[in-house]
Amino acid sequence: MRGGGAKTVRAWLIVGTALAAGLAPPARAQAPAPAAPLPSAGGAAAPATPPTPELPPTEVDALDDDAATAAPAPEFVDPAFGPRYVIEEIVVRGNRRTKEALIRAELGLTTGDAVLASDARVEAARFRLLSLGHFVDVRLSVQRGHRRGGVVLVVEVEERGALVINELYPSTSAATAFWGGADVSDTNFLGRGINLGAGVVASTKPIVLNAERGLGLRLHGTVPERPRGFGLSATALYNDGSEFYRLSGNDDDADPGRFTSVNTRRAGGVVGANRTLTHALRAGLDLRGESVDARLPPQRARTFPDGSTAPIDFDVRDGASRVATAAVTLDYDTRSDPVLPRSGVRVVGTVELAVPGVSSYTYAKGLVQASLYAKMPRGHALGIHLLGGAIVGDAPYFDRFFIGDLNLLLPRRALGMNFSTLPSRNLLDTSIAGHRYDDYAARALVEYAIPVWRRKGLVYGGDLFAAVGLLGMASDGDLSPPGGLTWSKLPIDLTGDLGLRLDTYVGIFTISIANALSRSSF
Amino acid sequence: MDARRLARRLVALLVALLATTSPLGRARADEIPRRTTGLALTPAQLVVSVGLQDLFGPEDRDRLTSGFVTRVLIRVALQEEGSSDPVALAFQRAEIVYDIWDERFRIRLTRGAGPELRVEARTPDEAIARAATLWEVPVADAARLRPGATYVVAFRGDLNPISEELMTDVRRWLVQPARGQRRVGTGDTFFGSFVSIFVNPRLEDSERQLRFLSQRFDVRQVRVMKEKR
Repeated sequence: MRGGGAKTVRAWLIVGTALAAGLAPPARAQAPAPAAPLPSAGGAAAPATPPTPELPPTEVDALDDDAATAAPAPEFVDPAFGPRYVIEEIVVRGNRRTKEALIRAELGLTTGDAVLASDARVEAARFRLLSLGHFVDVRLSVQRGHRRGGVVLVVEVEERGALVINELYPSTSAATAFWGGADVSDTNFLGRGINLGAGVVASTKPIVLNAERGLGLRLHGTVPERPRGFGLSATALYNDGSEFYRLSGNDDDADPGRFTSVNTRRAGGVVGANRTLTHALRAGLDLRGESVDARLPPQRARTFPDGSTAPIDFDVRDGASRVATAAVTLDYDTRSDPVLPRSGVRVVGTVELAVPGVSSYTYAKGLVQASLYAKMPRGHALGIHLLGGAIVGDAPYFDRFFIGDLNLLLPRRALGMNFSTLPSRNLLDTSIAGHRYDDYAARALVEYAIPVWRRKGLVYGGDLFAAVGLLGMASDGDLSPPGGLTWSKLPIDLTGDLGLRLDTYVGIFTISIANALSRSSF
Repeated sequence: MDARRLARRLVALLVALLATTSPLGRARADEIPRRTTGLALTPAQLVVSVGLQDLFGPEDRDRLTSGFVTRVLIRVALQEEGSSDPVALAFQRAEIVYDIWDERFRIRLTRGAGPELRVEARTPDEAIARAATLWEVPVADAARLRPGATYVVAFRGDLNPISEELMTDVRRWLVQPARGQRRVGTGDTFFGSFVSIFVNPRLEDSERQLRFLSQRFDVRQVRVMKEKR
């Protein structure tokens, strides 16, 4: 996870909101409370049978290592405790922005329903509303109805601020003195639970031949999935910027003076629909269309150190062209926690196909990402992250696999735009420095996380983590070079990261080596 | 190489940072407060008595009249000092519900595998006292206690513990795009997509928790009770 440094800014921007939301300080034990004998038959009666010491203790978390926590948490097995109600009316209170219809739809209870005072649906409804992200708190209660047994179900919500800063892009490189911007969303647009956001990134003029200032814009919205319905999404994009191509020098020479630029303007968008198929499986379909206008530079050949030359493959049509694709995504997720998982699996697979006759580029792109998590002793966690992708056909450069998106130690693209000439770090002394955009990509990362602390308050926890992995990129012919495939011709490199990941009330922040290196890439 | 020098400096900075933060974890065990606990030995068992009424905050107290069930789970572990393995475990479950027509609280109590006990209370404070008080709760067979050894009893109270099944569902809801505000980028930044969660309701397994330890004790110092008839 990257982007943590910038999120520090985000933290301070939002901390005020969090405080205004009335965060309670951690619960503290009060002065010793003497055990008070109960006057009636109650607690003084010892159970007829002793407790059940034979119950096995659950795994002891390193940070919750007191023995009482290790004791098993028995379920409240009898749901029939308490009176039975029939809902005569539902009243929603406290929603100033959020539409009442949205709350009622998520509630899962309607007029005429019968519920028990201990009904699991009531608690589930509360958490379902909370997980929308629009409320600080949700409480359900009943008031007397017109007849005994009939009740008015009162749903009280406390709304929270809905403005989200998804990402900040402040960075610098040898080629581009500064690029920056932000992606911001309103997560409850018009009170209907619609997530509407916009992103912008702009750069200074890169010191690369023919390069121009970069500008990227995004407008994105999602309508969350409703029961028995689809989730919908739409993104509009506009990019106007430069991509860099080597004119001369060795592959590991990042000097911007050795590059030229293609200036590309892209305008278009993506519309999509998704649906939950099973408890853990979701599917999505995205349709994408873009108009592309590329201006190739007059310099169209690279001069190698030995004096030989070769034409540059810019991977984009000179002048106007179109991209039209359809993509199917499957997302299988059984992780124990979406934030700091300790077990489970997540596999995301996408296949994107260019639409023949409409798209100027004919290609197919497949990508699979898998993350597997395993519990380790003392609350530690092991994560294995695998990625593999392939492109068949003539995809435009911005759809090909980019080294900066693959290597944690390089700046990744901001809203699809690259501002750096830095090659891969080449820590294994291979041919990887010559690979920037390719048709095949693979990466395997092993990550070990050690919980440093867990507590209540604004910062819930911190994990020390170390990740190390191997990445590879290639295009046709790279794996069968003249003279055979030797170590020095393998397009592979090491990547990794080391740092502290903080799980806070306002999001995840990472203080890490890769984060710093990727934002100041010289 | 400049980048390598920069990396070395960052490693040094990180090590310094971690050196600052790691003691938080080590110090945590000492943060568990002590609470004077009533200890007694029946001929057969060690029993404990202590109050956890402060598990309820003012808002929790007000919400007792919601008409829906409020649950209290108290877990108890006896351990020998210096050992993390519990010698014995016990628990007490309580459910409180306010009858909006009869205007009284009904409480159901169960201890371990023992029989359930149903009582009534007229005020929230009385209901809390009944649900969140351990009164002569058997924790361990007296025969298992070694004279001369130092013991401590660890307590954990949970208000409205969340079932594992519901917890799994909540996590699933949070993972879904446009719910927990996570999104996986399509196309251009797929590799670089990262978690973006503003609303991050940290999933505790209950609404409120209370943990404390009893005073240290040697079984030879524990008061001996006469057997009840």
